[in-house]
Amino acid sequence: MAAQDKPRIFPVDDFVREELYPGYKPAFGSQPFVAGPVRPFGKADNARYWLRDSLHFSEGMVPASIATLDDAQTWGAQLGAEIVGVPPTRGSVNRLAGTHVYIGTIDVDTDWQIQSRAARFGAYVGPVLQNFDSYWAMRAGELQSAYDYLDNLDLASMDPGQLWAALKDAYAFHRRAWFIHFEVMYVLTANYLAFYALAEEIGLEGSMVSAFLSGQQTFYSKTDEELWRLAGRARELDVTGPLLHAAPADMKAQIEALPHGRTWWNDFAGFLSAYGQRTEETCRVDTPSWIEDPSPALYSIGTFLSKPTGFDFHAARQQAIAERDEQIEAARRAINGSDLQRFNEALASNLAANFAWWNEEHNYLIDRRAAIPVRRASLELGRRLAADGTIDQPDDLFFLFKPELFAVMEGGDERWPELAAKIPDRRAFFEHWKHRGPELPTMLGTIPDTVPDPIMIEVFGLSGHFLQTLKDGAEGATELRGFPAAKGVVEGTARVITTVADISQVQPGDILVCGGTTTEWTPVFGIIKACVCDTGGSLTHAAIVSREYGIPCVVGTAKATQAIKTGDRVRVDGRAGTVQVFPASP
Amino acid sequence: MTSVLDLGEIRITDTPRVGPKMARLGQLASAGWPVPDGYAVPVEALDGWLSAATRAELARLFGGKQHDPATLQRLSERAQALILEEELPGWLEDAVRLAHERLRQRTGLGPGLRVAVRSSAVGEDGGSASFAGQFSTYLGISEVADVLHHIRKCWASGYTPHALEYRRQIGKSPLHSHDLAVGVLQLVDVRSAGVVFTLDPVTGDRSRLVVEANWGFGESVVSGHVTPDHWEVDRASGQIITRRVGAKQEWSVFEPAAGRVVLSPLPAGLAGQPCLDDDEVRYLCEKAAEIERHEGVPQDVEWAIARDRSLPGSVFFLQHRPETTWPAAAGEGEPPEAAPAPPAAAAKPFDPVQYALRNVFKVPGA
Repeated sequence: MAAQDKPRIFPVDDFVREELYPGYKPAFGSQPFVAGPVRPFGKADNARYWLRDSLHFSEGMVPASIATLDDAQTWGAQLGAEIVGVPPTRGSVNRLAGTHVYIGTIDVDTDWQIQSRAARFGAYVGPVLQNFDSYWAMRAGELQSAYDYLDNLDLASMDPGQLWAALKDAYAFHRRAWFIHFEVMYVLTANYLAFYALAEEIGLEGSMVSAFLSGQQTFYSKTDEELWRLAGRARELDVTGPLLHAAPADMKAQIEALPHGRTWWNDFAGFLSAYGQRTEETCRVDTPSWIEDPSPALYSIGTFLSKPTGFDFHAARQQAIAERDEQIEAARRAINGSDLQRFNEALASNLAANFAWWNEEHNYLIDRRAAIPVRRASLELGRRLAADGTIDQPDDLFFLFKPELFAVMEGGDERWPELAAKIPDRRAFFEHWKHRGPELPTMLGTIPDTVPDPIMIEVFGLSGHFLQTLKDGAEGATELRGFPAAKGVVEGTARVITTVADISQVQPGDILVCGGTTTEWTPVFGIIKACVCDTGGSLTHAAIVSREYGIPCVVGTAKATQAIKTGDRVRVDGRAGTVQVFPASP
Repeated sequence: MTSVLDLGEIRITDTPRVGPKMARLGQLASAGWPVPDGYAVPVEALDGWLSAATRAELARLFGGKQHDPATLQRLSERAQALILEEELPGWLEDAVRLAHERLRQRTGLGPGLRVAVRSSAVGEDGGSASFAGQFSTYLGISEVADVLHHIRKCWASGYTPHALEYRRQIGKSPLHSHDLAVGVLQLVDVRSAGVVFTLDPVTGDRSRLVVEANWGFGESVVSGHVTPDHWEVDRASGQIITRRVGAKQEWSVFEPAAGRVVLSPLPAGLAGQPCLDDDEVRYLCEKAAEIERHEGVPQDVEWAIARDRSLPGSVFFLQHRPETTWPAAAGEGEPPEAAPAPPAAAAKPFDPVQYALRNVFKVPGA
């Protein structure tokens, strides 16, 4: 059991490559980097830790998404950490195993840098937290007005020069959106973690803090509410049959064939125009928005319809808010004097600049939306290039890297045949790795005992326990421990799901076991009994949503998807943070 | 050496002996302000009391440099037991007995007197919240034997693991006990309580004073628990220009069973009622303006009004401190002669930036 006898290194060697994709070696793009562009693993990477980011990117990245990825987790994170002056970290870097994303951090380890960053941090963060409303309103307004412009461009009627300019604008906007993302995120995370530390100091459970901050209306909770309304409307108009049983591709035709089908579909189309500018994954220019492909929204409506009893969205929400308020009052009753005063101040500061809220809200403005303008302009350009035979099909363009595309578009026409010839191999490469996603290790490189970056701990769940569990391995585990994310105890049958694409396999009453969840998983929280994740801390999506749906949840178990098989009986204790496994008979 | 000090004898210069909170109350009392009466057992009494054997045993317990949490917990329990087990020496017991009797006479309450016994930290920075907050307050005590018992409990609370760890962090020996006094104060039967700001704390406007108050003890107001009743008074004319009855749902009341002030639902009959009448509002503002004139800078003044008494005998002042939100406003008055003592244990605010740097990112020296 001695930890030091266990291997501490999970070698990256199997994934070491020079090329990112066939025919492309990583290169610096046009932007300045702090610590290098996205690239494959190299031997030297064995010396540090790398976490598989299945939280944001479960299915792999096409070449065009490499540029959007480095706008985000490489360039955006590094610039945000510099501007805010986060003391222990200079942001993150990415490596790819095949097409799959791993994230590492750039730790700051000299006293002088930590001190000078701390001074910058104080000067920047103090004023922002005091005026967070207007600070965020300004940035949200900037993002929204960019969408108002970019989403409404009539790309089809542009001349080639205009179209190319539109694509460059879309890329420039994407990078800017991610800078905003990390600038705001670091400020809010610090505020949240300060509250967390205070809570622990005055004898409360730090893990309760995100519950205190829950229940605020976000764009996503409004989306869920609309989907719930549309489910009710489907019952009234008697169009539930196709929503529950038809294949996604046939759904629209089957609904519209019903007597009130068109009425319902028009209502649904109105919903899409307001809420449909979102994709299923972050940074992935190859994924459609709901407006292009509404099946995820239709699936969500189906899950609401298949709820066994009369689930009341509003009642559940009201109950969650009442429970939150009771938890806050219970915490207040447990403390007094200066502790109570500081608690109230910290709560007020966090309600005014609320990370738990923003963590959901920003997805609609950044994570799931910022790449859509790039996608639209790329597909229009791709259609034209396919029409004149330069490439085979419009989405071939997603298999070119951004520097390749920019070079060929800005005076390198003669390179088109050479580039087009690489596309089939790259498609094959993407498909190959797409299927290998679930087998990839949670972490690679040297697993440390602790990580210094508190953001990696709370958002990605890299606690000391998590790291130790990884070192110990998963075989034969009958009890897992993790972060107690949402209270309650239930026993039931496990359903192990490793990618959001398989989400429709989840049945009502299942206990969901997965790597981690994102906004796209939210609909299943209405039908599952409990949720168990490999990764995650107090701030991860599964933790927040489980509390709102009132189901037990344990995150950061490190190995649930390995230790548990679909069909196993499991007992989840969301207050203790434990999961007992009773394997099904073989 | 006087082993127990009546409040009337205490001055601000006694801060190192009795802690800042008791010293400021003494200073207020000596300036003629009505405050809850009481007495203090100064820090030197603790060392003077412990027997040589006990001191030797404490020295042995904490001889090592640094302890893991489990060991610290064990040592802490042993040290606290030592203190709670040891008999108080006759001279100290007599001194407390006499002081308590004097207090019963001064208040005119006799055996009906109830007091609060609270530890008063004399920290490095005059009552650092992180230290003082670890110590204890016991309310509603009336028998002198109980007072003596709780004085020992206050001293024992200086040996909790947290207090020991704090001493270690600031480089003080765990044996060092010259940092803990005990204050004994009359527990006023409070009807309403709150704060007067001698300027508008939101706008910095010095032409008006602001009163915020609730039924019951002042904790519910100071902690920001309730939306209090709110008055604004014109400084020049003394006229009340704004009255707002707050949505008060809760109040802080003394709960005899728990022996402490707790927050509980406000009786329905009181919720919609203003907790002060106009005369009380004007009187509090007059007095607060006097304190401001004396201190030279805008103040926030904590006060309480006793049940079943009438003005001005019903009013007690608990503490005052400079209102720091609007430092520029201080320029109008004379600068204070000496820097005012830092506020007592309660007032260290939560600064997310400092907290993030110190407790989250663990930046050395932050």
